[in-house]
Amino acid sequence: MSTLAPARGLPPRRAAGPLRRLLRGPWLLLIPAAVVVLALTGWPLIQLVIMSTQEFGRAQIFGAPPEFVGLGNYLDVLGDPAFWAVLGRSVLFAGANVLATMGLGIAIAVLLTRLARVMRTVVSIGLLLAWAMPPLSATVVWGWMFDTRAGVVNYLLSQLPGVDLIGHSWLFEPLSFFFVATVIITWQSVPFVAITVYAGLTQVPGEVLEAAQLDGTNGWQRFRLVTVPFVRPVLLVLLMLQIIWDIRVFTQIKALQTIGGVQEQTTTIGVYIYTVSTAGGNLGAGGAIAVILVLLMIVPAVLYIRSTLRQEES
Amino acid sequence: MKRKLALAALGVASAVALAGCASGAPAEDSTGDIRVWLVGADTPQDARDYLKTTFEEENPGSTLTIEEQQWTGLVDLLTTSLSGSDSPDVVEVGNTQAPAFTSAGAFLDLSDEYDALGGDDLLPGFVAAGSYDGKFYAAPYYSGSRVVFYNQAMYEAAGVSVPTTLDEYVSNAEKLKAATGVSGVYWPGKDWYNALPFIWENGGEVAVQNSDGSWDAQLSSDASVAGLEQVQAVMNTSTAAKDGDESNAWVPFREEQAATLSAPSWAYWSIVADEDQKPTALTDNLGYFALPGKDGGAAQVFAGGSNIAVSAKSAHPELAKKALAIMLSDDYQSILAANGLVPAKVSLGDKTAGATPELAAVIAEAAANAKLTPASPKWADVEAAQILQDLFVQIANGGDVASLAADADQKIEAILNG
Repeated sequence: MSTLAPARGLPPRRAAGPLRRLLRGPWLLLIPAAVVVLALTGWPLIQLVIMSTQEFGRAQIFGAPPEFVGLGNYLDVLGDPAFWAVLGRSVLFAGANVLATMGLGIAIAVLLTRLARVMRTVVSIGLLLAWAMPPLSATVVWGWMFDTRAGVVNYLLSQLPGVDLIGHSWLFEPLSFFFVATVIITWQSVPFVAITVYAGLTQVPGEVLEAAQLDGTNGWQRFRLVTVPFVRPVLLVLLMLQIIWDIRVFTQIKALQTIGGVQEQTTTIGVYIYTVSTAGGNLGAGGAIAVILVLLMIVPAVLYIRSTLRQEES
Repeated sequence: MKRKLALAALGVASAVALAGCASGAPAEDSTGDIRVWLVGADTPQDARDYLKTTFEEENPGSTLTIEEQQWTGLVDLLTTSLSGSDSPDVVEVGNTQAPAFTSAGAFLDLSDEYDALGGDDLLPGFVAAGSYDGKFYAAPYYSGSRVVFYNQAMYEAAGVSVPTTLDEYVSNAEKLKAATGVSGVYWPGKDWYNALPFIWENGGEVAVQNSDGSWDAQLSSDASVAGLEQVQAVMNTSTAAKDGDESNAWVPFREEQAATLSAPSWAYWSIVADEDQKPTALTDNLGYFALPGKDGGAAQVFAGGSNIAVSAKSAHPELAKKALAIMLSDDYQSILAANGLVPAKVSLGDKTAGATPELAAVIAEAAANAKLTPASPKWADVEAAQILQDLFVQIANGGDVASLAADADQKIEAILNG
């Protein structure tokens, strides 16, 4: 992303030689960031790819030399129905979470623009608190609320006439498990979306909205035809980030599985990679799954970059 | 952005940590801080204090820090932490999990210390679990079998007496549930250790090894299924979360929400006193017995327990070995015994004391007939994959035992033979 921006908007300086221009120009400024990205993202990625072509088990973790197996791990993974089940589950789960998060986040952002100062501060602080909570603590607390025997959710619902949910497990049925997981994850990702979109909304010029109003548009039309096009880049970035984050979600699912539920029916791809590599001691296969996930994640990333490029051209 | 920043911070932090390690290296072995990882609440506080004080007296200038880890996810945790540069020095590991690490070279070879640590006096089954390829890597730490605790008043009210056979144990549970309305036996679905005796007593096995070395999972054999059906019947009398685990199971028991609880013997202390050391409803009302077998006598129960080892990556291996020697000393092991654990040395076996002589007898009776999970280095992977937890959660929820068992057999074989 960052490598694309500097190519534009520079006055051509024909006097300087190309190398000098490069060194004095924006490229120099890019070096620190590039070094950090290469060292912290590039190197582990290379290691991951190498590992995914090796037979790499617990003995190799403790120093035994790994054996090269070519694409063996990939063939094993792709031929395993468990992998496809996990992948399908992850995509559906991420889809539901992205929709819920984006919908709620945008709605709350619009709400923030309408609130008076005091209430806006209160809501913003509430959002920040939810966002600042470590995911593990959040999951544990939500887990207590949905607890089978002593949870407040079962208690409150049982106060309704004709409802007796004491002893009901929210995590045993996979759909119910993912409902709880969606509540926790959405609750924590909405603040980021809401605050970012709100920041975008404050940049929508008031005069344009006013002009549209004078032309006789209603509120929904103004939002759809004026506001959304202005904040479109922001929404696209958020959408992409949410897809990536929700597909590879780990902490919340892993922590919920220790509270209840059947692990095999509730594992998503992030947890699956962990289960195969660390718990199962098969880092080769785990690496292969991770590489496949990276390749899948490149698809939304490429789509996003293409759309930003097109926008800048127009 | 957030994540990149976090990564950058992590990078800087590890660079600082690495620099710290490098400069500290020359002082190796003379003095240092030894980190001992104990798992769960099993090791009593007296023993922890004794270990720290004795070690620091015998090794002036060195310190010993005990860090408590959880049983849940221990295999994962040890896999990552023992291979890292910040490895703990001495680690406790479940006896059934030990082979995964001894076979991978995660532990220091202790063959030379074998005689000094106790030699043939050490619990043989645990020495076998801690040895690989003729070398001795992980010493026995303690053993402990489950004891069945019961609420005397509830047994009286329901008109049932201490069962003499496994079948009676099952029918008692149903009577207790009907009479008291609380759990006949408190049994969270993930507690698979308590299910093993039912399989074994009915003549079943988890897995047996064929003559060619491959493993044959046996949960779906007729005998095992008969045992699993008994498990399901008992689980039906439980009001515990069907997908919960056994941690803190003594809390509902001591609050009179269950008539029976099968738990490690040291759970006694948590039953007769609450967190504030106040007496509970069970303080003067607690009975206990060893789980009865199918034809009377004590059932074959799971030989739970731990091994203790020195990490191959320990920065102070000599000091770590000294700490391990203290943990296997007669004094230290006697403290464990006094708290209801079966000590690592056969000669100290008669020191195992419950809070009462009767409890001690029950513990000894249960331990005498204890049995282990399949002796494969890959068994730890079966545990880590939570196959048995998933199986019993589904059994607790009323699933079809035979088909669930067949399914689990397939997964177990895939791992053991994989």
